[in-house]
Amino acid sequence: MNRTVVIGGGADALVAAQMLATAGREVLVIEGANAPQAEGWVPRPVLRALKLQGLELHWPDPWISVPLPGGGRLELWRDMARSAESIRRVSARDAQRWPQFCKRMARLARFLEALYAEPPPDPLSAGFAWRARRLGGQGLEDLLRILPMPVAELLDDWFENDALKGALGGAGVLHLLQGPRSGGTAFRLLHHHVGCPPGVFRAPRSNVLELLRRLPRVELQGAAVQRVAVQAGAVAGVVLNDGRELEASMVVSSADPRRSLLEFIEPGWLDPELMRAVRHVRRRGVAARLRVQLDRSPGFGALSIAPSLDYLERAYDDAKHGGVSRQPYVEARCDEQHRLDVHIQYAAQGADCSKLGDTVFAMLSEHWGEAVPRERELLSPQELAQTEGWPEGQAHHAELALDQVLWMRPLPELARYRTPIEGLWLCGPAMHPGAGVAGAAGFNCAREILRR
Amino acid sequence: MRSTDVIVIGGGHNGLVCAAYLARAGRKVLVLERRERVGGAAMTEEVFPGFRFSVFSYVVSLLRPEIIRDLELPRHGLHILPLESTITPLENGDYLGQWNDHDQNRRELARHSLRDAEAYDEFGLMLHQMARAIKPLLGMAPPDPTSLSLANLSGMADLARHFRGLGEKRFHTLHKLLTMSSADFLDEWFENEALKATKSASGIIGTMLGPRSPGTAYVLLHHYMGELDGVFRAWGFAKGGNGSVSAAIAAAAQAAGAEIRCNAPVANVLVSRGRAKGVVLEGGEEIRAKLVVSGADPRRTFLQLVGEKHLPDEFVESIKRFRFRGSSAKVNLALGELPDFTCLPGRGAHLRGAFSISPSVAYLERAYDDAKYGEISRRPYMDVVIPSMLDPAMAPPGKHVMSIFVQYAPYHVNGGWTDARREALGDVVVDTLAQYAPNLKSAILHRQVVTPADIERIVGLTEGNIFQGELSLQQMFFLRPAPSWAKYRTPLAGLYQCGAGTHPGGGVMGASGRNAARAILGAP
Amino acid sequence: MLKTTPFHERTAALCASHAWRRWAGYVVASSYELSHQREYHSIRAAAALFDVSPLYKYAITGKDAARLLDHVVTRNIQQLGVGQVVYTPWCDAQGKVLDDGTVARIGEQSFRMTAAEPNLRWLQDNARGLDVAIEDVSESLAALSLQGPASRAILGGIDLKYFRLAETRIASIPVAISRTGYTGDLGYEIWVEKKSALNLWDALIAAGTPHGILPAGMLALDVARLEAGLMLIDVDYVPARKALIEGQTSSPFELDLGWTVDLKKERFVGRDALAAEAARDPLWRFAGVEIDWDSLERLYAEVGLATRLPPQAWRMSVPIYSGAEQAGYATSGGWSPLLKKYIALAHLRAPYFAQGTELEMEITVEHQRKRALARVVKKPFFDPDRKRA
Repeated sequence: MNRTVVIGGGADALVAAQMLATAGREVLVIEGANAPQAEGWVPRPVLRALKLQGLELHWPDPWISVPLPGGGRLELWRDMARSAESIRRVSARDAQRWPQFCKRMARLARFLEALYAEPPPDPLSAGFAWRARRLGGQGLEDLLRILPMPVAELLDDWFENDALKGALGGAGVLHLLQGPRSGGTAFRLLHHHVGCPPGVFRAPRSNVLELLRRLPRVELQGAAVQRVAVQAGAVAGVVLNDGRELEASMVVSSADPRRSLLEFIEPGWLDPELMRAVRHVRRRGVAARLRVQLDRSPGFGALSIAPSLDYLERAYDDAKHGGVSRQPYVEARCDEQHRLDVHIQYAAQGADCSKLGDTVFAMLSEHWGEAVPRERELLSPQELAQTEGWPEGQAHHAELALDQVLWMRPLPELARYRTPIEGLWLCGPAMHPGAGVAGAAGFNCAREILRR
Repeated sequence: MRSTDVIVIGGGHNGLVCAAYLARAGRKVLVLERRERVGGAAMTEEVFPGFRFSVFSYVVSLLRPEIIRDLELPRHGLHILPLESTITPLENGDYLGQWNDHDQNRRELARHSLRDAEAYDEFGLMLHQMARAIKPLLGMAPPDPTSLSLANLSGMADLARHFRGLGEKRFHTLHKLLTMSSADFLDEWFENEALKATKSASGIIGTMLGPRSPGTAYVLLHHYMGELDGVFRAWGFAKGGNGSVSAAIAAAAQAAGAEIRCNAPVANVLVSRGRAKGVVLEGGEEIRAKLVVSGADPRRTFLQLVGEKHLPDEFVESIKRFRFRGSSAKVNLALGELPDFTCLPGRGAHLRGAFSISPSVAYLERAYDDAKYGEISRRPYMDVVIPSMLDPAMAPPGKHVMSIFVQYAPYHVNGGWTDARREALGDVVVDTLAQYAPNLKSAILHRQVVTPADIERIVGLTEGNIFQGELSLQQMFFLRPAPSWAKYRTPLAGLYQCGAGTHPGGGVMGASGRNAARAILGAP
Repeated sequence: MLKTTPFHERTAALCASHAWRRWAGYVVASSYELSHQREYHSIRAAAALFDVSPLYKYAITGKDAARLLDHVVTRNIQQLGVGQVVYTPWCDAQGKVLDDGTVARIGEQSFRMTAAEPNLRWLQDNARGLDVAIEDVSESLAALSLQGPASRAILGGIDLKYFRLAETRIASIPVAISRTGYTGDLGYEIWVEKKSALNLWDALIAAGTPHGILPAGMLALDVARLEAGLMLIDVDYVPARKALIEGQTSSPFELDLGWTVDLKKERFVGRDALAAEAARDPLWRFAGVEIDWDSLERLYAEVGLATRLPPQAWRMSVPIYSGAEQAGYATSGGWSPLLKKYIALAHLRAPYFAQGTELEMEITVEHQRKRALARVVKKPFFDPDRKRA
């Protein structure tokens, strides 16, 4: 029985499927109901392994526009010098520090990139120590200091201007139930910076999914998996929602760990402590999404409404206690068809989002100039859970907190993609390196499988 | 002009410990204390006639047992009386108790949650393992991972070996404790809100963080490190108040030959040709020494006593970045009678322990929210003890003293710490506690409120931060107080640092003082 | 405060020795009389009545009740018939013993489990996704143990086979009776609702007095269980949840409970680790040791003393040697008044646990560490036919 079933239709699932198929296994991909979003940067080793040509990464330029209190906007560009010019208009001191800041963050991002294209390192190994040391004294000191820091402290150390700090701080709290004053958010900023050129702190869109779907050799099915059948502690196959049973000797699941291990599998195969640990993997969704169709360009590629770090912190406070931010953090991205895709934080799971659409709409309407909105749609975290397949509305499946990354992601026992059930493997955003690095978890997982 | 081997600036407990170890090793040591008595924030004062307060720090746990033994502190008057319980009054009139006796404790927890009663033992075992895992790190000068020197490389290798020796499971648990919030960490073990809140309260002590802030699980562990009679996590009260801790250490230092001068405020360190050569007192007196050790916090030491111009720019940057935001206050009460708690009426064993006003994690988090934006917590967290129940000599017969530790009272409070605001803090504390013990107000004979500004002014702790600098990971271990300057030396030759602003941090441990002395003496 | 059992009103009145001890947060009598001797003899000669209410007890009911228990314990529970009881340990995922107790099938979908330690959380965590209800009845269900040759007669000649359970009445009080116990003798454990506890006690005393029934405490029980070769948690083994290091944990094989491990079961907690261990040679075994009387007598005679025997069963770690090597250590031991032997239960390393192996156990004679000859013998030390008859 040579068949492998891959569960999911995102980049991780497709990359894993391709690699296993190339190695000679019969691979069937069960995509499920959700259409995954266009995903971001792809590490080079993944491109090489799949011989993937034609990858296009797209950032708006300026990659972010920030409305200023007195009118006008702070714009940050792919060109660092141009950004420095823009910053100079609000703070000469910050403009002067911008290049240094970008250089030091970029160095750490490169370090993380190298870690992301392989299974998580052993932090106590000499090998890892050697690699960390190659960052140089300043780089290593930065790494050890910055990793646990709140992004607010990092930004306060470097800059004075609130709008600049607000724009950067947003990247530290994306899809996280934390504010910029929470520890570990500086790491989040670095994670977000991976795959970006120096001075750009937002993830790109890319056509990776399209490219992956065009690759031969893998059969795709649009059904959904209900159960993974296990016999004598090993995978025997999958059962689909429509009742069909498919035999398989291996299952690679990109669904989140709780679903993969607690819902797909009958109770009794996993030991209770692991089950308890899986249940404790935190995956709280905090984002809502607004889509607005405009009749013309709003005059920005990406707009961030987060006037200061305190603004972000207060937005977080509202959700921390189970509600919706009265003054939410809003980031709107516009495509060529004048469609605004708006990311909104924070909305706690289960909170009443009925007024949120109006609030955010009103906030944005001050900035899109002459454009006229035609249609709009608000999706709450619960709705995003349905439409995007994000468990509890959490896009990363497991929060990117410092205790749930690298060799701890999503649990130390599962960090190398293998599960205690023979033949059952995990890839997907909940696995190292985490969401935002398209296909890497699938790549790492497939390589672990093929190593054996 | 006087000359000696070592000058210790500041007679706080770390400075005294350092002086004692150096004196025992044969050095001539002179301790210079600004105030009229030693002790810093570990002191006892008869603020109102007959009523003796541990004005600032008020309990003992973290004082290193090896220091107690090495300096023979009991011979010099130290006697620690165990605190046997913590009661968390609940808003519905009930309470959650935690008792030292295992059966009693389990029974009480089972009253609230059978699962938590069962989990408690395993939780305790886990923390015990973690405390053992961390303990060796307390007594070491942290190796510098960014340095390629043989000593540091070998120190890092030792550390790696130590962590590997814990085994994977414990190493990962340690990782979680270092990075998670105390609330998230406790959510994995317990379901009862009051239990989680009371435990996570030890994760916020002395920080400008809430129980949901990542990094507070570490502070929880830090406070668990206290050992009494071989038992971790035990807290006690020093007979005579925390001043007796300092007095015992001072006596040990003097017995070993150290000299202590009070009313001798140091104005600055004497620097000549890139070296610290001694100190200059306010008033001009110069005292020379081969070595100077500062027990003051890093900002005071480097930016005030030494001066930026004598220090490398990068180091000064780091010191300026070192965060101190004080958030703690004290309210000390002289009582005419014992408080009568509605949840446990009358006089009983519970009055000999602590009371924790922490009915839920949300309560603590909201208290933090207020402080985040510069306000005093409208419903503050409090840790309350009645020292006179353990040591009747602290108050006149039949009367009592009560020590209330409060958070949050931010140093940078909106509008500043005026007298009115100090009283407002006292009022909110008394009002809150009186909700649980209605006779409190009528029992109060005198009240003393100590704000972070008072802490800074009286004992010299910058921004009133009780740990001489926040216990956050980015300024701990080899980063404390500045990257690569964590081994008690400083960029100024001849100047060392021994206060809690160095590794392993604060909490009346004495570890910094001891580690500094050992670094000076060249011990490994 | 410590808890008192539902029988406390009776037991307190009888405790002339004032010798109480703690058991699972309760106070129970160590002995009622000034010495535990008579209480012990009543176990073997007539009948002893023990208050065993501090045991942890769980009522497990529902469609998946058997499935849950079968998954948690090492024995096959699916095959258990109604009215059947088994003794079983249960393990963690590494195959190390967490606790030991009994599982009784009261009905098709209804079980009762007893344990030495609280296990509610463990049962609940294992029950996720299963259709089962778990109730902690430790406090609401009182329990007595009636042990000794007269016990059957005291219960009206009850016809109950070994390790079986029946629901019946004693003096119109609804009870469950299981033919189980901790003495290795003919005996029964009686389970009753807390509210009827005192009435039950009175009824049993009344029925038992003509037969020589005696309330007995933990000291007496300790001697009997030693003779029966039965292990005691925290004394003879460290439960995995409390172990500080791996070396403190024990597998069922190491505790000589390999017969309770049913590897034919498809899955239960710890199965993989236990299967792997079963395939290896055992490193340790819990065994019975008998100390040679002559050797013991000689040691005392050498210093001019008559042989001193321990007045109570002891619970300590006592080294056992084979020549220069330490072969293991005893964890329980004492003098059996019935067998007139000095016996002990010990953990012994391979190959020393083989039956008949000659070893030496440490004995302190007049403050000096000496060694007495000892031999590995079969457990139980005392195994009367009436136990199973």
